[in-house]
Amino acid sequence: MVDQLPNRGLELEMLQEMGMSSIDDLFDDIPVGVRMNEPLPLPPPQSEEEIIADARRLLGANLAMSEVVSFLGAGLYRNYVPASVFQLITRGEFLTSYTPYQPEVSQGMLQAMWEFQTLISELVGLPISNLSLYDGSTAAAEALTCAVRVHNRKAEQKDTVYVSELTPPDKISVMKNYCQGAGITIKFIKHNSDGSIDLSSAQQAAGSCGVYVEQPNPLGLLDGGYPQLKEIIGDKTALIVGIQPISLGLVEAPGHYGADIVVGEGQPLGSPITAGGPIYGIFACSKTYLRLMPGRIAGKSIDVDGQEAYCLTLSTREQHIRRHRATSNICTNETLIALMGAMHMSLLGPEGLNHLALRNITACNLAKQKLSEINTIALPHLQGTHFNEFIVELPSSAADCLDYLDGIGIIGGFDASRWYPERKNWLLVTVTDQTSAKEIELLAAHIAAWSVGVSA
Amino acid sequence: MSRLFDFAGGVGMGYSQPDTLMPKESVSLPASLIRKELPRWPRLSEPEMVRHYTWLSRRNFGIDTGFYPLGSCTMKHNPRVNEVIAQIPGIAQIHPHQPEHHLQGLLSIFHEMQHMLEICSGMDQVTLQPVAGAQGEFTAVRCVQEYFRKRGEDQRTKVIVPDSAHGTNPASAAMAGFEIVEIPSLEDGRIDIDALRAVVDDTVALMMVTNPNTLGLFENDISQASEIIHSVGGQMYYDGANFNAILGRTSPGLMGFDAVHFNLHKTFSQPHGGGGPGSGPIGVKSHLAEFLPGPIVKKRPIASGHENFAVDDMWYGWYQPANSIGKVQQWHGNSGAVIRCWAYYRRYGYGLKDMSEHAVLNANYLRHALHREAQKAGVTDMFVDGATTKVAKHEFTLSLLPAKEKYGISAMDVAKGLLDKGYMAPTVYFPLVVPECMMFEPTETESRDTLDKFAKEFIEVLQQDAEILHEAPITTPVRRVDEVYAARNLCLRHPFDE
Repeated sequence: MVDQLPNRGLELEMLQEMGMSSIDDLFDDIPVGVRMNEPLPLPPPQSEEEIIADARRLLGANLAMSEVVSFLGAGLYRNYVPASVFQLITRGEFLTSYTPYQPEVSQGMLQAMWEFQTLISELVGLPISNLSLYDGSTAAAEALTCAVRVHNRKAEQKDTVYVSELTPPDKISVMKNYCQGAGITIKFIKHNSDGSIDLSSAQQAAGSCGVYVEQPNPLGLLDGGYPQLKEIIGDKTALIVGIQPISLGLVEAPGHYGADIVVGEGQPLGSPITAGGPIYGIFACSKTYLRLMPGRIAGKSIDVDGQEAYCLTLSTREQHIRRHRATSNICTNETLIALMGAMHMSLLGPEGLNHLALRNITACNLAKQKLSEINTIALPHLQGTHFNEFIVELPSSAADCLDYLDGIGIIGGFDASRWYPERKNWLLVTVTDQTSAKEIELLAAHIAAWSVGVSA
Repeated sequence: MSRLFDFAGGVGMGYSQPDTLMPKESVSLPASLIRKELPRWPRLSEPEMVRHYTWLSRRNFGIDTGFYPLGSCTMKHNPRVNEVIAQIPGIAQIHPHQPEHHLQGLLSIFHEMQHMLEICSGMDQVTLQPVAGAQGEFTAVRCVQEYFRKRGEDQRTKVIVPDSAHGTNPASAAMAGFEIVEIPSLEDGRIDIDALRAVVDDTVALMMVTNPNTLGLFENDISQASEIIHSVGGQMYYDGANFNAILGRTSPGLMGFDAVHFNLHKTFSQPHGGGGPGSGPIGVKSHLAEFLPGPIVKKRPIASGHENFAVDDMWYGWYQPANSIGKVQQWHGNSGAVIRCWAYYRRYGYGLKDMSEHAVLNANYLRHALHREAQKAGVTDMFVDGATTKVAKHEFTLSLLPAKEKYGISAMDVAKGLLDKGYMAPTVYFPLVVPECMMFEPTETESRDTLDKFAKEFIEVLQQDAEILHEAPITTPVRRVDEVYAARNLCLRHPFDE
């Protein structure tokens, strides 16, 4: 029996009070021709105990990254979220609230989101942040359409944006879906063989509506050429930078080197990977984009007594008011996960973020060092600066190597040929603050053993 | 007040971290990339952080705080076991790029959810990828667009929406590049079949319908609407925002729809945490299935050597539809929300029908109780039904226009008065077709006592003097917030010393 219905057993009394005698009376407005006459062919209800037992059995059969040695990243990263974040997020007042349409009883969430906006604004070096988009890919896609809305009128290359050719295809796919309706053409900017951006290729993007690059880029490289990009593409073209938020504890904020819009996967700050969702997309921008940007924004205001108070603002950009002329169709976003992000950022503080970034980059450097000592494999971008992942070129396919490592209980990384089909032997190895020196030794030893085997 | 940016404590007090694996001094970055100034984040110790967010939480209202009859939002109780399940490492610590044999349990749950949603909706194939209702709409509109492109019917540039539709419908269709044709509703809020007939031709790609509609009325001419659209070669789209009203009683498939989105967070409960997350899977009839975003989970026999990884007698594998529109989110959608909704669904099983019946029972009972209490108190002259109909579905509307005209009491005044009584206010001023609209959706998880008590107190609010109500709320953490001030004096982040 279902145990979630407080009025079970009271149905008839309630119906009789309304002058009805059967539940069917409540549904007699459904025409006979479209009624479902058979019971739903589904199993019987379960108790809480049975559900949790099934959940433990089924989810327990999955191989969780926390239970194995893992070097898989490629956009989502193993992290540590402090216990207090998980405890606080279960506060029912946060957890079970809806969009703060009644600000007088939603001050907690509104203030927390206004604080989130400030934390993100400081992180990326831009004055404006919204309350989150769905994920990094939709944030990037919305940034492109936003750039076209703002710049198209004066653009020399109308309805055109440029995207780094290294961008993962799944992300490009999202961008294409978001861009096609507005008739936007996506062109690509080339990278050099060392992984850095080809600045002469970037030159071609001047006069378009926007340019999207990632820092670190999908090969894990920090690109020292980006600070020149804004000058190359000019004021009438939006520079959009996709970031890994932890890296900004060490790496210059894109807003400080000319980025107009910064987007990214917020996940490493505050959220477990959760198979890719719910996570949250960061979207921050300069004032130029404010009135044409997507997503909800919290503003500080006053109440009738002049007290400090918060509310949603600039809603006239949004679908519930502007309908088909809205800047985006987004309604539900990822506020709760963004709140976890804000809590994590609050605990880290500036120096904590810096240390977290250092843990990533030093672990990455250690892994680079250990793997570069294996002479049967190569690190094609060894001379570059990586943040927390890098490409290893293997003597045979990455898929084979991953299978081998999987047999030993190691998730060895990401088969980069899933992004770049011609790079069959490229393995993207990710090393985060959660990786130990021992795990790096283990990976190096097993990749060495495997590569000797396949080279022989 | 507790303000985050007032905290300026000691370095590293929030939580200590292990040392770096190599000395910090070994790190070298290109000079152009070295961050010169760290973000001006606050410095809090854990006790301060816990207190700050606890203080904030106490200034926020959730379902756990009290009755939340926010129409259109289906604010039902969120069973806590779902939260416990979502923290199991086999979902929380899963990477979407892990191979199938690491994920058999997860994929079997995805498959079960696809199957259950197909059964409830009468669709042939479901994808779980869209992460919110609006994204589900956009995804389905894109599938229909590609369907017509493949058929060479590029002239289909229009999407029809009733004027009572959620704003996301026209916004999603416009984002995909369609022209929006809005048709007026009948006086009772239902689709005007004659108005529909007048606008259809072979340039129509799609009609988007919410049923029950945003007034909580079942569109009893729905089969006729489907026929009209199909007769000109168009497609029918079901906005599943109000699916909670009809499970097991009818289905979009029976009504003639070709595609549907589900707001899993509403119908199957995922805590909405101040505006998200949600989850917006879509289901389609077979002719649209090849265009769905992938991957989708399909069952197949277990390959030899894989038996140890299997969770039952079949293998659960990813499958890419042949002419997929591609992806709408980079990963596999909001898997964590899907897991919670799976747990919710398991609680009901075939009893999902009971869920909808109780949702409709409660809505009709509340509507009845409000009229009953108005009668007792002699204030029947203050509001009328938003739609004159014998039964509503899971939600209903009242128009406070009489109160406004006679006493100067607006729907907003009443909403704010309810906040003082410890309730979340119903949705106000939506749908736009009802003047001074209040839209109530109690959901199935409220007891009769709560509904009776609310109805009584609602009438007490109406009986207050207009001048007093204009001042409401007075017991909330802040009083009426000046939204115009917020828009004119934009302050979107802490100003520091600037």
